[in-house]
Amino acid sequence: MTNWRRRLHLAAALTLSLALAACGGGGGSSSTSEANTTRGPIKIWYSNNAEEVKWGESVVAAWNKDHANEQVTAEQIPAGKSSEEVIGASITAGNTPCLVFNTAPAAVPQFQKQGGLVALDSFGDGASYIQGRTGPRADQYKSPDGKFYQMPWKTNPVMIFYNKDVFAKAGLDTKNPPLKTYDEFLATAKTLVAKGGVKAAIWPAPSSEFFQPWFDFYPLFIAQTGKQLVENGEPQFAGPEGVAVAEFWKQLYDQGLAQRELYNGDAFGDKKAAMAIVGPWAIAVYGEKVKWGVVPIPTKDGKDPSQIQTFSDEKSSAMYSSCQNRATAWDFLKFATSEENDGSLLEMTGQMPMRTDVPTAFPAYLKSHPEYTLFAEQAARTVEVPNVPNSVEIWQTFRTAYSQAVIFGKADVQSAFNQAAEKVKTLAARS
Amino acid sequence: MATATQPQPPELLAERPQPIAPPSRRSRRRLWPLLGLTLGAVVFLFPFYYMVIGALQSEPNSDLSGAFPNPANLTLDNLRDINRAIDLPRTLLNSGIFTGGALLTTLVLGLLAGYALARLEFRGRGVVFNAMLLILIVPFQLLMIPLYVMIVRGYGLADSYLGMILPYAVNATAVFIFRQFFLQLPKELFESARLDGASELKILTRIAIPLAKPAILTAIIVTFIGPWNEFLWPFLVTKRLDLQPLAVALANFISTVAARQANPFGAILAGAVVLAVPAVVLFLAFQRHFVASNLGSGIKG
Amino acid sequence: MTAIATPATRRSLGRRLFGRQPLGYLFVAPYVVFLAAIFAYPLGFAAYISFHDYFFAAPGAIVERPFVGLQNYTDALADPVFRRAMLNVVIFLIINVPLTVAVGLVLATALNAAIPFRTFFRASYFVPYVTASVAVIGVWLWLFNSDGLVNNLLGPLAPDPSWLVNSLWAMPIIALFATWKQLGLYILLYLAALQNIPEELYEAAEVDGAGPVRRFRAITVPGVRPTTTLVVIAATITGANFFTEPYLLTGRGGPNGASVSPVLLMYTQGIEQGHAGYAAAIGVLLAIMVMAVSLVNRYLLERS
Repeated sequence: MTNWRRRLHLAAALTLSLALAACGGGGGSSSTSEANTTRGPIKIWYSNNAEEVKWGESVVAAWNKDHANEQVTAEQIPAGKSSEEVIGASITAGNTPCLVFNTAPAAVPQFQKQGGLVALDSFGDGASYIQGRTGPRADQYKSPDGKFYQMPWKTNPVMIFYNKDVFAKAGLDTKNPPLKTYDEFLATAKTLVAKGGVKAAIWPAPSSEFFQPWFDFYPLFIAQTGKQLVENGEPQFAGPEGVAVAEFWKQLYDQGLAQRELYNGDAFGDKKAAMAIVGPWAIAVYGEKVKWGVVPIPTKDGKDPSQIQTFSDEKSSAMYSSCQNRATAWDFLKFATSEENDGSLLEMTGQMPMRTDVPTAFPAYLKSHPEYTLFAEQAARTVEVPNVPNSVEIWQTFRTAYSQAVIFGKADVQSAFNQAAEKVKTLAARS
Repeated sequence: MATATQPQPPELLAERPQPIAPPSRRSRRRLWPLLGLTLGAVVFLFPFYYMVIGALQSEPNSDLSGAFPNPANLTLDNLRDINRAIDLPRTLLNSGIFTGGALLTTLVLGLLAGYALARLEFRGRGVVFNAMLLILIVPFQLLMIPLYVMIVRGYGLADSYLGMILPYAVNATAVFIFRQFFLQLPKELFESARLDGASELKILTRIAIPLAKPAILTAIIVTFIGPWNEFLWPFLVTKRLDLQPLAVALANFISTVAARQANPFGAILAGAVVLAVPAVVLFLAFQRHFVASNLGSGIKG
Repeated sequence: MTAIATPATRRSLGRRLFGRQPLGYLFVAPYVVFLAAIFAYPLGFAAYISFHDYFFAAPGAIVERPFVGLQNYTDALADPVFRRAMLNVVIFLIINVPLTVAVGLVLATALNAAIPFRTFFRASYFVPYVTASVAVIGVWLWLFNSDGLVNNLLGPLAPDPSWLVNSLWAMPIIALFATWKQLGLYILLYLAALQNIPEELYEAAEVDGAGPVRRFRAITVPGVRPTTTLVVIAATITGANFFTEPYLLTGRGGPNGASVSPVLLMYTQGIEQGHAGYAAAIGVLLAIMVMAVSLVNRYLLERS
């Protein structure tokens, strides 16, 4: 068959498809504010983490017992990489559930842009409930238009886990390990790799996903400055402190104390790395496997621990615009985040609810689980990812520059960050 | 194109002297290819072997010595763990329904289409062939969301086997395989039958299909692999746990943040081995039929 | 092919309009309906959004998605990451396709012969194809680690930085991995095709004194020509769409984008960052490139 005849056929096929496409699409469901008062059965999604499933089932069962006409059906979705895809696709198809626990704050700007989220302020007690429960930190979760499109639900503030056995083997203090300043940390890291029998002192994933900075660069940046990556439309990371954090990590990579290769599995759990940046979920995971200790994130010159903030690794709950029975959904959301249910969340999963008063509201639990105390105290001092338009692309831009300059050392940190900052500024300004 | 010479009548064959190579040369000629094949087999099998070993170990050993495990370290616990986490029988059943549905429609509709594209002349044949190629060319990521919206919203098929099966209903590669296969059969086969006055349907059922056994078996295997290993699409379409195929359940399991098994890596590998076994069994069962048939017999009579 | 002179008037209007075997329409109809019902809309839609600043939105949401003409296309062509991705496709295809055809046919021929343990050998070559990528990639990560098996065997010859974090070697390793993983399918296709080559041809050639190489070149290779076309086109198409390898094996196209693929870009841009229109433009450009390459291949191969 000759060239042009083949192209003609293809063009015909494509034109046919285009014609069909032009007819397709459209057809929306009404999302008026009257839905705010409707009641009825609702569907929710939560993550498929075993403990959370248990918690979810108990909360749903308790609610369903008392609300015969407003039954809640729950389904699980993975909390991992693909949950945003699934939610995004669902928004487009119009079949999202009323509530999704485990909505990532970094995805909220995009879901909002898609018209997929309900502003919780539209409920009479929306803003007040959220701010009452979470305190001043709640402001980090407001969208640029000042409304709450998410309710901050639970946090896993990250700290440094270290393997006491490895530290002992390397001849380091296991009760108060020298990990407070960058210089201390570097020296300790060197000793660990030389004498501790590990391949890396710390092994964050060197891959280029947009969310990886949350577990290497960002916690240290927050600990040092208490700032978000972007504040008031201005990128903050290209300043001297941000560059100092990057140079610290660069040294770790250059000296072989952190690895440039992916580890297939859990490096800390497999004892290939002496430390890890993790949240309180790690207590249950490593409980028996590794003799662990926990310290706050290092800062340049060793700040007072009660001043050190960290990345929240928070997950929010959000209400989606396809929801018909929003009054029920809002009431259920308040029910699931009541002090009682927040307490059972803490007990069953070890993850911290986003309440202002975690150490004081649940003293019994913390007394019987002293290992969580440090995390509970840290939970009051967390910083979130910035709620700005194009947030995923902003993080990806940052990660690409970071990967180039810091992990693979192919560019100068300051100039790479400057370039990235310019791009990020444009992205944050675009709507 | 396949050359079709006239098969020799039996008498002539018998008269021809058969050259016999001396024994040493014959076995030496066979040794080198055999050695090469074995080396290749090792290279190909090794990762799977390592997977199986990993699935059977109670403590993960990612060092070099892990390839030759300590017999004391072997256990079936990982299988038990993964079965507890994922309902293996149910998910296997779902995988079976999903894949089986796609197989059925592909074999029936795909064979017809492939045959028509190869051996029936009708105007517009080229358009259909190019449309099929276009489907093959376009990556799934491009079509995923509109396809999802259409099937879930337009056709209302969320949380159903049909919704899972639809995009896989007629595997384009299988159609391509059938077409190329029928093209490879000698044209004379069909022309002579047509001249003899046979109807197209008879040609299809009496001549084409019986000869198509290797293509059918190949198409089965090819069509099997796609849906069997597919994670994203069935997961998008159905959230109900009792409908999810094994590949989805396994992927969900891998992505849970707190992998609570004693040996998460081992459990994952155990699941992966379970996922791979049916496909291998299918292949083993079918490849027996890939033994040289004598095409000459098809032309005679 | 017998040539019977048929007077033009004998051929009915129907025949001339629809072809010699209009039954073909019936046979192909269900498939066409399937294509139209399932793929026409998403395909057309993808082409449509590539001309807009498009993102997916909730039904009923009022959002601005302006028509931008060819801007997505020009942006893509100007983007160095996209250009690198297309270059990576070329590298991949250059390594993968000839290797697949050559090794596939040779292995299939070997596996077609009456060798001992034939079933075992056939199964070994097939197994990687059916194993889930996720599991197999774990093993490759372990093998090509900086202190993995391969580097241990190579000793001082091992590249530094190690394979998967080496800008020069990352793509070839990916191509090698994909070839290894897919080969089972193509061996299968060739095996099926080999069943149709009459045994007599080989016997006749052997009697005429042709050695195994000569027999291979003169009988086997031409005998499976349509399958070779299938293998080349299928390998080209699958190869151009490679996604899992950079996604899992090299940490999203590392190091530093040395192994990004166009489909990976479509995923990060379209699904993660919500630039559906831009991703669609990338997809269309990729499809055009693949069509062009397939056309060339088909022309070269089916010129008999």
